Amino acid sequence: MTRKGLTRNFSPIEILTEEQIESIHKSTLDVLQKTGVRFESKRALELFKENGCEVDTDKKLVKFPPGLVEECLRKCPSSFRIKGRDSSQDLSFGGNTSYFLPFPGKDTIDLETWEPRVPTRKEFYDVVKIMDALDTVHYTGSYVPWFGFKYVPPVMQMLEGDAANFRNSSMPLHCNYGKDCEKFAIEMAKALDAVNLGVVGVSPPLTYQEDACKSAFRNIEAGFPLYIQSGATYGATAPATIAGATITNNAELMGGIVLAQLTKPGTGILVSDFGFPQNMRSGHPAFGQIGSSLHQVMFNQIWRRYKIPVGNHSTGLSSSKKIDYQCGYEKAILCLLSLLSGANEIAFHGCVYGELSFHPIQLILDDDVVGMIGRFLEGVEVSDETLAIDLINEVGPIPGTYLTKEHTRKWWKKEQFVPKAADSLTYPEWMEENKKDCIEYAKKRMKEIIETYKPKPLSDNDEDAIENILEEARRYYRERGEISDKEWDAYKKDLESPDYPYA
Amino acid sequence: MSEIIDRLKEAILTYDDKLAQQTAEKAIEEGIDPKKILDGMTEAIRKIGDGFERGELFLPELVGAANAMSKATSIVEMEIEKSGKKVDKIGTVVLGTVKGDIHDIGKTMVKAFLVAENFRVIDLGVDVAPEEFIKAIEKYNPEILALSALMTTTISEQRKIIEILKDKGIRDRLKIIIGGAATSQEFADEIGADGYEASAPRAPRLCKKLLTEG
Repeated sequence: MTRKGLTRNFSPIEILTEEQIESIHKSTLDVLQKTGVRFESKRALELFKENGCEVDTDKKLVKFPPGLVEECLRKCPSSFRIKGRDSSQDLSFGGNTSYFLPFPGKDTIDLETWEPRVPTRKEFYDVVKIMDALDTVHYTGSYVPWFGFKYVPPVMQMLEGDAANFRNSSMPLHCNYGKDCEKFAIEMAKALDAVNLGVVGVSPPLTYQEDACKSAFRNIEAGFPLYIQSGATYGATAPATIAGATITNNAELMGGIVLAQLTKPGTGILVSDFGFPQNMRSGHPAFGQIGSSLHQVMFNQIWRRYKIPVGNHSTGLSSSKKIDYQCGYEKAILCLLSLLSGANEIAFHGCVYGELSFHPIQLILDDDVVGMIGRFLEGVEVSDETLAIDLINEVGPIPGTYLTKEHTRKWWKKEQFVPKAADSLTYPEWMEENKKDCIEYAKKRMKEIIETYKPKPLSDNDEDAIENILEEARRYYRERGEISDKEWDAYKKDLESPDYPYA
Repeated sequence: MSEIIDRLKEAILTYDDKLAQQTAEKAIEEGIDPKKILDGMTEAIRKIGDGFERGELFLPELVGAANAMSKATSIVEMEIEKSGKKVDKIGTVVLGTVKGDIHDIGKTMVKAFLVAENFRVIDLGVDVAPEEFIKAIEKYNPEILALSALMTTTISEQRKIIEILKDKGIRDRLKIIIGGAATSQEFADEIGADGYEASAPRAPRLCKKLLTEG
């Protein structure tokens, strides 16, 4: 059994011609052959050398024969599965299905001042519970919903977050890496019989750092599929042109695919586009811009030809600091385009200002955005029953009405999408209800979920296993000096609190 | 003489780093007073900075001009140092992205904004080990050390460098500023940095403030 994703029942939108795709494909292979990709990993360089790539060990540069790249693209399966700790939550990536992952932020937001602040442990665990309760959230991940929470030292943030996600949700995990964190994350998944989606990030332009290669090797050895992501800014770490940025992006991802398929042929891969135009005044990525959609829609079309599942990670971010009209339109437009163009995976819910803030109210509002577009993706059923010819002839002109008919009672809910946190009142009702807006409705829904929803608990054995792995990680980083005395004192106090791990 | 300086200004205003370098070399060969050469360049980079302030120019132009300026400046400064005189700058900043982190863009932008405001910038690059920072501090004696880190897993390197400077007893010789996506004012306070900025264009303002505080 799998968790139900969104299903698209019609052809995806396409913006490239066959000739344009071919031109991008050939140019990408050309860059891989002439310039190559830098891999800061001895093991990776040796593997490439053994398999016929031209390797410059000093520059750590690998040039790829086009035939090898195409062969490795063919070796990627067109679909693969990941597993939650509860088998009803498994996901099968590929085809015309789309799954959603919340997009994390560094901080939460104070809704009075709109200023960012570090979330608490309780807030973190509560939001994981909300994610688990929402139908349009299909899996969770490291640094989701926030990069960390109060009193947790930076090096433990990923693992404390992974543990929170395993504890308060049964969904599978999109799992990050760095400083050996992936080693412990893999142990947690194994203990719960889960299969993570192991993240491997490119450092554009055309570079894989050692930590990324380590993550690839470790996840492949664990039998986990990989999520290879490139996140360039157009005009800084990729060409300013969308087409040029597609070539560097695809060349980077193909380098990672060759690494994976040489290590273990048939490894499941999801390629992810996380690109942004650059804000040419501040130097920050420009979030929620149509340039990201142009890139992603092209990306989805090209990789569909390679029959490799695609993820869109630029979709859920806005440039707004508030949960407001700008945040809503930027996110919704990008989400619509990603879904219509066939993204199999989208990081979306909850994020407000690109990577820096996440709020549960936004998470709940985004549940309606995805629900609404999800209904559109299902398309329209055309059958004898939905054409309703007999009924139309029966009702006839005024004073005929459809309101009293069995057909209406049966079909209206299937045909419409009813949002859960939107204002749908008439003016008189709205004035009586203290002029409530969608944020007020979302607050009410958030409170209800926190008070009533019960995630499936971990068994005592599983809980012990998770806690033991966390303990092992704490010792590991403490011994290596990655947690300072000051950080440790605050962290330890938090760990000894009667509310640990969560109240 | 003014013809060469005009050409140098033009090279900066058209973001032509090769022409800037060649013209600076030529100006030195012809024996033009290095101070006058620097003044000419400062005038050109100010024009670029003003254009940026007015919203007419953007980062690609600012970084391009600062790059051309840096190439020419290093030639002229070498000449000044040969004569035993001091280079007339607001202050010296040693800048780099910490070990384990190869993010370059943010740091490059900070450098461009500082160059445009007449700071002397020693850019150590990316993936810089603590000992390389120490070496540069001993060599250039900067007023400011600027540390960039983009990832939650590498920001601890910023703390490490501050701790090493303390152990060596040279922490108080300079001001330390941090930046990068994963950092924050809170983190800066916690690790004992003197300053933090979220955005590259604000780096010169922060550095000037720290210099006046002494």
